[in-house]
Amino acid sequence: MSGAAGWRLHPAQLWPWGLWSLLSLAVLTLFVAYPIGVLTWNALLDAQGRLSLAGFAQVLSEAQYLEAIRNTVVLGLLVTCSATLVGVPLAYVMARYEFPLKRLVAVLPIVTIIIPEVIVGQSWLMMLGNNGLISNWLNEQGLPLPSFYGWSGLVFSMTLIYYTYVYLGTLAALRGFDGQLEEASLSLGASPLMTRLRVMLPTVAPAILVNALVVFTLVVGNFALSSLLGGQIPLLSVLTYSLFVSEMGNSPVLQSSLSVVMIAIVAGVLFVQKRVVERRQVQMTQGRAPAPVRVRSGAGVLLAGAAVGVVALSLVPLVAVFAGAFTQARGPVMHWGTWSLQSMERALSLAPEPILNSLLFAAAATVLGTALALMVSYLVVKKKSRLSGLLDYAVVLPLPISGTVLGIALVQSFNTGPLVLTGSAAIMVVCYMVRRLPFGVRNASSVLYNLPGSMEEASISLGISPFKTFFKVVLPVMKTSMLSAAILMWATSISELSASIVVYSGGLETLPIAIYRLVDTGRLGLASAYGAVLVLLILVPVGLATRLLKVNLFSVK
Amino acid sequence: MSTIRIQNLTKRFEQQTVLQDLSLTIPDGSFFTLLGPSGCGKTTLLRCIAGFNEPEAGSLWFDQDDITRVPAHQRNIGMVFQDYALFPDKSVRDNVAYGLRARQVARDELQARVDEALQQVGLQTLADRYPAQMSGGQRQRVALARALVIRPRVLLMDEPLSNLDAKLRLSMRDMIRELQRQARITTVFVTHDQEEALAMSDQIAVMQSGRIAQMDTPEALYGQPVSAYVADFVGSANLLAVDGVGDGVARVAGQALQVDTRAATAAGPHRLVLRAETLQLRPGHEPRPPNALAATLSGHQYLGAKTLCRVALAHGEVVQVDVPGLLAHQRGDALWLQVPAHSRVISQ
Repeated sequence: MSGAAGWRLHPAQLWPWGLWSLLSLAVLTLFVAYPIGVLTWNALLDAQGRLSLAGFAQVLSEAQYLEAIRNTVVLGLLVTCSATLVGVPLAYVMARYEFPLKRLVAVLPIVTIIIPEVIVGQSWLMMLGNNGLISNWLNEQGLPLPSFYGWSGLVFSMTLIYYTYVYLGTLAALRGFDGQLEEASLSLGASPLMTRLRVMLPTVAPAILVNALVVFTLVVGNFALSSLLGGQIPLLSVLTYSLFVSEMGNSPVLQSSLSVVMIAIVAGVLFVQKRVVERRQVQMTQGRAPAPVRVRSGAGVLLAGAAVGVVALSLVPLVAVFAGAFTQARGPVMHWGTWSLQSMERALSLAPEPILNSLLFAAAATVLGTALALMVSYLVVKKKSRLSGLLDYAVVLPLPISGTVLGIALVQSFNTGPLVLTGSAAIMVVCYMVRRLPFGVRNASSVLYNLPGSMEEASISLGISPFKTFFKVVLPVMKTSMLSAAILMWATSISELSASIVVYSGGLETLPIAIYRLVDTGRLGLASAYGAVLVLLILVPVGLATRLLKVNLFSVK
Repeated sequence: MSTIRIQNLTKRFEQQTVLQDLSLTIPDGSFFTLLGPSGCGKTTLLRCIAGFNEPEAGSLWFDQDDITRVPAHQRNIGMVFQDYALFPDKSVRDNVAYGLRARQVARDELQARVDEALQQVGLQTLADRYPAQMSGGQRQRVALARALVIRPRVLLMDEPLSNLDAKLRLSMRDMIRELQRQARITTVFVTHDQEEALAMSDQIAVMQSGRIAQMDTPEALYGQPVSAYVADFVGSANLLAVDGVGDGVARVAGQALQVDTRAATAAGPHRLVLRAETLQLRPGHEPRPPNALAATLSGHQYLGAKTLCRVALAHGEVVQVDVPGLLAHQRGDALWLQVPAHSRVISQ
């Protein structure tokens, strides 16, 4: 129970928590640490299997790789800036003003959860791509849009997804901001503008920066949008994926080297975030945020209008995918305005395998992943020992690994050797679980930290063993937060593309993979139909949980 | 209902020794208080008795049973926590029934015992409420009922009153003491509040950095402290420098006073313990009363029921004196400070 357990592992102390720790550690080692090790090792071997830095030398000297690295970093910076420029003002408006349709904006965080990235990419293509609904209409008006493929499409679509991260983080910080500080500043003679710049901004800035850096890492790891909208612009994730495809069967030097470079970039940014920015976060000792003011001035109305506009834009993909699902389509040509059930029929009756696969894999990942996340966070928070300390480190390992890289590492590790998982459903489930685990653990931990240790001790003092106490006292208290963790796990699993597209093989195609391939080959009708099904599979459980069970998905980020 | 015996107990956290070779016997049925400032080891000792902390050395006994290695959930203890530790998802009734269910008590008996326990703490009408719907005092009463209903061998309480407001604390003191007497259950009570300890306990152990500084009845602890630490922690005390000690006589500020010198060992330095409420002030123009020191009133605060006075002795030491009601003297007045003969000289 106490920290003194150390390495003296008496059998009695090992049961049950020590064993659970070992088990969790084994899972994380097998599916995270070991694959990263294999990947790194492969990056250090040349085609003849000798130790060499040739792979890195090639990746860091040839123009196409350098260009991909540069493009990725530039795209990351651009989207981080634009997402901040949208997210921060939106958060300020939401925290400080009352305006009509405000409740519409409040649903915003849910939007990014329920619309998978691959659908966002597809929808904007159907609207603004070559032959897109809006681009065609503008063409007819004599106002041709520049090509959507490339920088404009990438920055536009990514900003419209990732600003929500900045928005949520900033909103939380603003809501925690002590209004008395503002009043103090005003009473000392500072103007309202100066007060905001000198008093409010410094306290909120670290929160903004933390979330902006998260956006950067997400852009670097993004595969769906990068691939669908990137056009001729080489980007790291897409290039790594195509190296993986082209090196199939050969020595995986280049894919591994490039993967390690990607991990290094993201890990570097996360390190800065953790070590530099998070420490600057200001703790508000007291006070409450000032109540929102009803909008009166013209500028306020404009701001409110802009806020509603941003949300409307974020919702366009939702509308587009449902409209597309019921629109007559022939290959890449959508006959907008002509309704048809043809695509839906195909999706549901002729080719339902992706739907069934997605349901099965996501369900398995949700059950196993939620259980693992709960177990790990319980051990880390409540049963401190050296083993659980190791666990605490191991669980953040997936964070700097983008989906593509994780997929490649898993394939390299479980293609041959003692444990062959490639081609099995298990590897899909592993992909889903591993990617979501750090977030699941973070959510569960924040609840567990607030659960006083005395609650369990009370149960133990009343004669219930520690093991049973976990089920009788801890689990019931965590019921709702577990449910919200499970739903988030479900939503992210069922929309996962970047890792699963690397590891999947025939017969294991899921909805996002099917949609991606259909969009790639220009069959937008069926893609929309699958897209609509996918959105419904996310929307229904999210809706049920938030409406009927009153689960607050975003009380803990 | 057991005698608790603690033998040579040592508990370390990391490199820090929190309990040092501590031995103690707590008599059957008594109300025993562990008193001390935070960090003195009192809560650690309580948690060792409960089984939540495992000692590095020594043994623990309930009567003739060695419980040193018995896991907490098999010790049959009742524990009341500072933060109540009620199960938030269970009603009051289910909270109280929790321990009985673990013991697989038959339904009828369970019902009866829960009802009885709730009645004892005056909560029978709130049985179906949930913890979140109750006040702090009510929650603490549920916690008490939950601990007592299992008829534990010992009742352990970890600062149970510290989260309550002052008025509630007084009434809860009475309730706890009353229930403890009825059940005649050996109780270990941890607090840092000396008034609480004095008011409730049969015996008090004052703890100081992992050791017991003094163990005594409340009266003895207050009246005959063995060290400056105890004197100062149990009721505030003036500790005056003593220049010399004879048999029943101590020399303070150049003046011989008749005091209790039985606790003064040969080794110095010695201090004279003066309780503020035992001292008396006389006007300086009167002839010197017996056992008195010359003093000057240097300040006072009127508190209604009493007046806190600070008087300076000739050599500069300042003594606090409590005078009932209103003070008749002015700041700067010359006074006599009369010292009672039962005041104690202690060695440090």
